[in-house]
Formats: sequence, structure tokens, C-alpha cells
Amino acid sequence: MGFGRLLPVGVACAAVALALSTGSVDAADGGAGTPAQAGSQGRDASPTDRPGGAVGSGRENYYVPQDATPADLANPVEYGRSLYVQGCSTCHGLNGEGASDADEDFPPLIGVGAAAVDFYVSTGRMPVNKPMQQYPRKTPVYNGEQVKALAAYITTLSDKVGIPAGPDVPRVHPEQGNLAAGNQLYANNCASCHNSQGSGGALGQNYYAPRLDAATDVQIAEAIRIGPGAMPVYGPNTFSEEEVNSIVKYVGSLQDAENPGGLPLGGTGPVPEGFFAWFVGLGALLAVARWIGTRV
Amino acid sequence: MNERHIAPAFIVAVLCAFGFMVTYGFDGNTQLQGGLLGGAFGGLGVGMILWAKHLMPNEEVEDHRHEMESSPEEQQEFNELIEGAAGDVTRRKFLSRLGLAAVGSIGLAALFPLKSLGPNPGNSLFRTGWAKGLRLVTQEGKPIKATDLEVGGALTVFPDNGEHRNERDSTIVVKVDASAIKPRRGRESWAPEGNIAYSKVCTHVGCPVGLYRENTQELLCPCHQSTFDVLDGARPIFGPASRSLPQLPLSIDSEGYLIAQSDYKEPVGPGFWSRGRRKMEDD
Repeated sequence: MGFGRLLPVGVACAAVALALSTGSVDAADGGAGTPAQAGSQGRDASPTDRPGGAVGSGRENYYVPQDATPADLANPVEYGRSLYVQGCSTCHGLNGEGASDADEDFPPLIGVGAAAVDFYVSTGRMPVNKPMQQYPRKTPVYNGEQVKALAAYITTLSDKVGIPAGPDVPRVHPEQGNLAAGNQLYANNCASCHNSQGSGGALGQNYYAPRLDAATDVQIAEAIRIGPGAMPVYGPNTFSEEEVNSIVKYVGSLQDAENPGGLPLGGTGPVPEGFFAWFVGLGALLAVARWIGTRV
Repeated sequence: MNERHIAPAFIVAVLCAFGFMVTYGFDGNTQLQGGLLGGAFGGLGVGMILWAKHLMPNEEVEDHRHEMESSPEEQQEFNELIEGAAGDVTRRKFLSRLGLAAVGSIGLAALFPLKSLGPNPGNSLFRTGWAKGLRLVTQEGKPIKATDLEVGGALTVFPDNGEHRNERDSTIVVKVDASAIKPRRGRESWAPEGNIAYSKVCTHVGCPVGLYRENTQELLCPCHQSTFDVLDGARPIFGPASRSLPQLPLSIDSEGYLIAQSDYKEPVGPGFWSRGRRKMEDD
């Protein structure tokens, strides 16, 4: 029967469509470069926030400190200093002065502020084993107390040299935000890079805007305030606290959005969806039509 | 293949249909509902097709037609009729001229839509809604102070000239370290306190150049990856765009808000036929 011969073709179409639709953005934003880097570090560095990317995990390849003792918690700055010296100073310098030469660029941490420390460490973007063009989200190496201690210590670095510290960890109250205003602000300022569904996208030259589905409320607000990586900075004069609350509330609504269809195809929009409909849907219909029309 | 082979398809349809009723009744998973509905229709369809293919009579029966040829009398009559009428055909001058008139009129009518190529756009492609002294406002209508943006910040702005926001006016204002700007000749005063503004309409085919890569100071067009250097007059450094994004001359008013010094000094957006023929006038 014709169906028997067409079935493998249909299955192959479906497999190709699925592979392309879920991996399309990875390929577009330079998947060739970063997975190779990730591979060389083991699965720890496998990105979790790349658009359409796979979920990775693990803190095995990093120095993981013991949980804090009561003595540590009594003096978070000193605890933070010990964590910093063990985990961060190799690249960022013993006093957070950073280091730059022709090959590598290790940014100074003096004056970055608690929000930046919290953002990079709580999303697992730091620490890393080697410099990369863009740092992917991964399972955090430090727990909440340790992140606080690191932030407390790094904030003291700028006090010592008399430089104003960067923004503190923002206090976010999404429940006070206005969802409609958040939608408008997101559409006008965020969606061009992070996609209308928060599923990220390619930024060219191997940069990408990460997916937002794993970001916490505080991390979203921190990213707005500090502008990590390629992202612009939106200070308190650009977006008020109320506006940040609204944006965070809206991103939260995207994260909690229902998915009645069950197969979002990466949430990257009409191209993979149309591809899926044309090749998988029409392929299946063709196979069925062929079977109906075959003589017994 | 007999009834016993086909019955399971209908049984599957019945079970799936009842399964759908139950799932729907208990507000179950939408994907399960879709699968059950699909199973019901699929079982019904497969059953009907198998029935038609295997149980319906499938022998070929021929039904011979009667003789098709006309009788000699009818043929004779037809020939006489045609021969007698042949002389009449050439005499239909009135109708043939009318036919020609019909064809000609339709041809003439086809020329009239040419009017839709107008009206002449005149100066409108050379102008935007920006004018001297207009404040920069966000999409939501909030005016922007020169100190509002942090270094490394960016906002999309429009001229404060009414409720309507025209996409041709859309402009991206970026705050950079003022000393890093490499201003073009004559543009030294266009970026007060490091606030530098460019048309957001790509010079390639007019997409919004909405992606600002802060760490490399580049504006990226999402449509075809044209990339513009923010610090160097939005010079195209990658992709198909060949012209720099037009820069909007900015200054700061007495209350500290950012205002335009004038309209853009060159046409925004993609090229057009007469783009090079007219010089932009100063305000």
C-alpha cells in the first residue's frame, strides 16, 4: 500500500521539522561557536537560557564552598571576602581590580554594586572556568547566603577607594505593578530583543538575548537596572520603580502563560509554526490522501 | 478483510468520543481532549475508508453506449445548413465593430489605474514630524530629560507633536560616554551630554533598527542584520544597509529636556528614486 511507503517520508518530515523548529534560533545566533565552548567545559556550561536551548545543570566543575556556619553569618563581609578570594580573585584580582591584556578581559568589580553581583552569581553566570563572549545561565554555584555575603564584600571594595557603589539589589513588588502598562513598556523596550513571548533571540555576531522563562522577579529588575552584557541600562530616571514593577509583573505573566497546544516550538513565532504546519501537517495529509486513493 | 477487522476502528471512535466527553466534563488537559477528539474522528474516518475499500462491491461493470453516429439524413441536413449560412458570417459588420469597441474600451480602462501611482509625494519623503524645539517623548508620551538615561541606556522616542506616533519619526536615543563619540564634521553639537539620536528606520528596507548592543555600541536591524556603529555616526559596518542612519541634532531646553535642533538633515529610511535630486533645506 502507498501508505506503507509514504509513512517513513512523513516521519522524516516530522523529525526534521521538529529539529529545525526547536533549534532554529540556536543555529541562527551562532550555535556553532558556543556549544563547542560549552562542550569543552563539560555539561556544566550547557546553556539553559539560550533561545530554544536545552536545559543544563551541575556545579561539579566549580569550587563549591561549604554552607555557611553561624560564625560566617555573623560577619558576612569577612565570609564574603573568603568566598571571593577562593572563587573569584583568580580573574577579578585580589582587590576586585580586574585584569586586562590583549587576549582576555577580566572586568574590575570595584563599584559594580550589589545588584550586579546578585544578578551574575544567582543566575549562575558567574563563576566560570574561562572567559567567554557571553555567559549563559546555569545552575548557581553559590547559595543565597553566599551570594549576599559576596555582594556585601564586593560593595565594601568601592567604599575603600571612595567610588560610589552601583545599584543595590532592587526591591520588587510585581503585585503593585500594572499589567497593561507592563505590556506596553515590554513591547516598546524589551520585545525587540527578548521576543514578544520572552523566548529570546539572536543579536548577531554570536550574541543572543536570553530567554526570560527562568528569570526571577529580582533578576529581571536587576537586569533592567544594570544592563548585563549587551543589554542597555535602564536607570531609575528612565524607568521608575512602579514601571519596573509593571514590567516584572508582565514578564511573570509571560512565564505563567498557559500553553493549551502543548507544543510551543520554542515560542519563537510564526516561522517554525508555519514550517511545522506546512511540512508535518501537509505531509501527513498527503500520506492519508494517497492511502485513501490507493486501489485495493 | 471483513467486518471484524473494521469494527475496531469504529469502537475506537466511540471510546474516544466518550473519553472526550469525560475529559471535557472534568476540565481535563486540553492536549488529551485534542488527542481524544482526533482519535474519534480518525477512527471514524479509517473505518469508513476500510469499509469503502474492502466491503463495498469492487467489480468493474461495463455499460456499452449506443451508436454515436448520426443518420445519413441528419448529416445531409446539417451540411446544407452550414453551407447555406457560410455567406452570412462575413456580413455581421455591426457586431464585429461593436466587439472591437468592447476590446478597445477595456484596454483604455486598464490605463486609468495609472492614476493610483500618484499623487506626487512632493517633499513628504524628505521630511519627518521632527522640527526645531520639539521635545523627545517616549511611546507613552513621557518627555525625556538629558539626565534621564544612564550611560549605556537607550530609548525609542518620537517628536512631541500630538497623540499620533508616526513610525517614520521613530528615533532611538542612546546615552554614551560623550568623549567616546567620533562626531562627523558639523555634528559636534548634536549629541549634548552624550545623548545621541538616530533614525530608527533602517536605510536598507525600512525595518525598525531596534536592537542596541550596549557592550559593542552597535545598533542592529533584526530583518537583515544590518549593523551600525553608534559612536561613528551610525556608519553601517555589517549587513546590506549601505548608508548611515540619519542623525537627529539634539539640544537641551531650559528645563533640561532633550529637544530636536531641527528635522533630520537627510531623508530617513530606505532610498527612493528621486532621493539624490533635492537638497534638504535647513529649518
